[in-house]
Amino acid sequence: MTEQVESLIRKDYSAGFHTSIESETLRPGLDEEVIRFISAKKDEPQWMLDWRLKAFHAWQEMEEPTWAHVHYPTPDFQALSYYSAPKSMANKPKSLDEVDPELLETYAKLGIPLHEQEALAGVAVDAVFDSVSVVTTYRAKLEEAGVIFCSISEAIKRFPELVQKYLGSVVSQKDNFYAALNSAVFSDGSFVYIPKGVRCPMELSTYFRINEMNTGQFERTLIVADEGSYVSYLEGCTAPMRDENQLHAAVVELVALDDAQIKYSTVQNWYPGDKEGKGGIYNFVTKRGLCQRNARISWTQVETGSAVTWKYPSCILKGDNSVGEFYSVALTNNFQQADTGTKMIHLGKNTRSTIVAKGISAGHSQSAYRGLVRINAGATGARNYTQCDSLLIGDRCGAHTFPYIESKNPSAVIEHEATTSKVSDDQLFLCQQRGLDAEKAVSMIVNGFCREVFKELPMEFAVEAGKLLEVSLEGSVG
Amino acid sequence: MNHTVDKVAGDFQRQALQLAGEQISAPWLDRLRFEGSEQWLAAAWPGRRTELWKYTPLQSLQRGNFSRWGAGQRCDLAGDALLSLDAIRLVFVNGEFDAEASACEAVEVVRFSQASAEQRAIIEAHLGKIVDTKRHLFASLSNAWVHDGVLVHVPRNVTLEKPVYLVHVSTPEAEAATVNQRALIVLEESASAELIEHFISDSQEQNGFVNTLTEISLGANAKLEHYRMNLEEEHLLHIGGVHAVLQRDARYHGFTLAEGSTLKRLDYQICHRGPGAHADLNGVYLPRNNQLLDYHTNVEHEAPHCTTSEVFRGIIADSARAVFNGRIHIHPHAQKTLAELSNRNLLTSDKAEVDTKPELEIYADDVRCAHGATVAQLDQTAMFYLRSRGLSETQARTMLSFGFVNELLQELPREEVREHLHRRLHLLFAREHFSA
Repeated sequence: MTEQVESLIRKDYSAGFHTSIESETLRPGLDEEVIRFISAKKDEPQWMLDWRLKAFHAWQEMEEPTWAHVHYPTPDFQALSYYSAPKSMANKPKSLDEVDPELLETYAKLGIPLHEQEALAGVAVDAVFDSVSVVTTYRAKLEEAGVIFCSISEAIKRFPELVQKYLGSVVSQKDNFYAALNSAVFSDGSFVYIPKGVRCPMELSTYFRINEMNTGQFERTLIVADEGSYVSYLEGCTAPMRDENQLHAAVVELVALDDAQIKYSTVQNWYPGDKEGKGGIYNFVTKRGLCQRNARISWTQVETGSAVTWKYPSCILKGDNSVGEFYSVALTNNFQQADTGTKMIHLGKNTRSTIVAKGISAGHSQSAYRGLVRINAGATGARNYTQCDSLLIGDRCGAHTFPYIESKNPSAVIEHEATTSKVSDDQLFLCQQRGLDAEKAVSMIVNGFCREVFKELPMEFAVEAGKLLEVSLEGSVG
Repeated sequence: MNHTVDKVAGDFQRQALQLAGEQISAPWLDRLRFEGSEQWLAAAWPGRRTELWKYTPLQSLQRGNFSRWGAGQRCDLAGDALLSLDAIRLVFVNGEFDAEASACEAVEVVRFSQASAEQRAIIEAHLGKIVDTKRHLFASLSNAWVHDGVLVHVPRNVTLEKPVYLVHVSTPEAEAATVNQRALIVLEESASAELIEHFISDSQEQNGFVNTLTEISLGANAKLEHYRMNLEEEHLLHIGGVHAVLQRDARYHGFTLAEGSTLKRLDYQICHRGPGAHADLNGVYLPRNNQLLDYHTNVEHEAPHCTTSEVFRGIIADSARAVFNGRIHIHPHAQKTLAELSNRNLLTSDKAEVDTKPELEIYADDVRCAHGATVAQLDQTAMFYLRSRGLSETQARTMLSFGFVNELLQELPREEVREHLHRRLHLLFAREHFSA
């Protein structure tokens, strides 16, 4: 079987092309001057610059975290460029028609034709290309509903009071090494504000793409759902194939005020490196949501890309009766490494959280679930259910589980379950005996394994995720 | 880490080495002691950021002044404090052998200081070789301190008729004292034995620090039944380790029960070195008051076709804190492994806390591994049922708590241990604070 596995573990990264667009890229290195430059380039007010500098100074004091179960050479933070923008963005386009056709072509190749999307799915897309937000589709209709959906740089200028109030309120500038770095140099990202009682009329979506060489992408997303509102937000990512490792350190902050609901779905398909483990994206992301009374935050993620992933979307369940959910599928192949999971911090009474994490490892990859469930003394009646399952394909990969459970309240009920096994021979045999070839059979079994998570994804994404999984697993079975 | 803590840690580390210097031991143990000291000095003092000590602060150890060795003395234990058992019995009081209380006529069991040349060779071949000092910091200290200990050596195809019963008694002394306890169990091919380690203190205020280490080497097809009861009183500090290496088809059956004290940290490390080995390890922890009780278990599956089953249950009362960490590590090539771990916790008070972390690290694919952890309070429907049958709240709680741990106790083959613990638990649960 091993030989067949060897010959078949070969997947094509279909988003691995590079778009030749003239771009303006800042000299490599990081110091105060660079931050001032980014801030000035974006025409930011003084408070924003101060905020960034504060983060930068905190970052200088911090050390890179090494506790994760991943191994990689430390990125040289002085060799990276912290700002890169397509040149044609210098004069920001007013509408889709004015956007550089080559850029649009890129997105079309990625499978998100903006025009079509506008007509078809009714998904509003904010596309981030390297460091700047290219265009935000479907804006007019959103504005009608009172929803603000724009790039964060625009929000800083147009809605400073909102940004100032919420930026850094969930993930502070000093939160961790990469969050601090992001706070200092973030170049763009999305901002969403849903007013009181509004149900966002369509699903919002961001597409991230790293294009230039030697650049880091540091986007910042801030979503504020005011009392009683609802929003579903999708995020997708790709990058061209390169031999060097590229850094992606994003921060996502969600604020769900009383009775609000945020559903955040990610399909992460950054370039994972080639089959020898060369190149690929370092994906070091901080994602966290804050739930006020009766609020609900639901994270759903399908992680198939990146050479190294370090990502723990978390919920702080501060308000009474608030709910946090985490559904995740992490697939690693070849030499990919993923250390991912979630944190559920229960502070309020009767807070509930559900964690369903599915890990699939193939090739030489290592995937780890790392989670924390903390019940504070005040979280009377809190409830947590955690399930993490790992599936191993091939005998050279690894699957690990590191759940931390801390309980300080006797009325809380916490359950944690984890299992690890390989694709069952019996199931394979049954499928093959019914006339499916081995590869289809595995794909079917894996899809079934992930079903609980896929059913949480919005429809279009679920289809995409299923396909992505198929491609990523292509040939892992013999 | 701030400066003061560093200084305190340094003080303890130095103190510990001074103590090592005071030990008088056979020259053939010098090498082990030297290596132990070197390792102890080189190791970083664990703080909050040390993963293995994340939830277990060592301030109580640093603050104490453990600069002298404990001395053997008479102790008056209650009549039923020890098991009434026909056994090879060795009693140690504050680390000193108490010949009067002991009954040791078997040739297989000997103290290091009394070992024959042949037995010395066995000790030299195994002592300090089984233990993994990387995951158990205090093992290197135990190596540095070693001066005497107990060797149980069972030759090929021999079954020890009587159980080996090691009793370690701690008594309070005028000044806080340090005790080092060492045991080495070597079972050759197809040998079998039973070992009961019993740690108690007389019921007065305790003030000592006890560092214990038991190394176990099981040859092919050997079998060991191992009971370890940590029943010392309130203020004692106890850091203990059990390290076992299992060869082909060896079987290790472990049971451990601990009541809390100011600090108790117990490490179990089981290594499946030969194919077909099996280990089961069940544990019960019952901290109360302000106690801190920490169990770290680690099972290394280095060979294929091995099985592990681990069940730990705890009831945490008052302001006590329990820490549990159960790691199962499946090495590459350790195919066809079956490993299971379950950890269940009951919190019976608003101020009780539990931090549990079952871990799986798996590098082989054809394995079935599972772990589960739960934290909750006593089942309210069960409580209601018992109350509706006319039981008082306290009775109902006692009964349910007892039932929760008895599932593990009732399976123990050694009746005397089972009954001793039954009695002890009934008393414990009937105490007011456990059923508050």
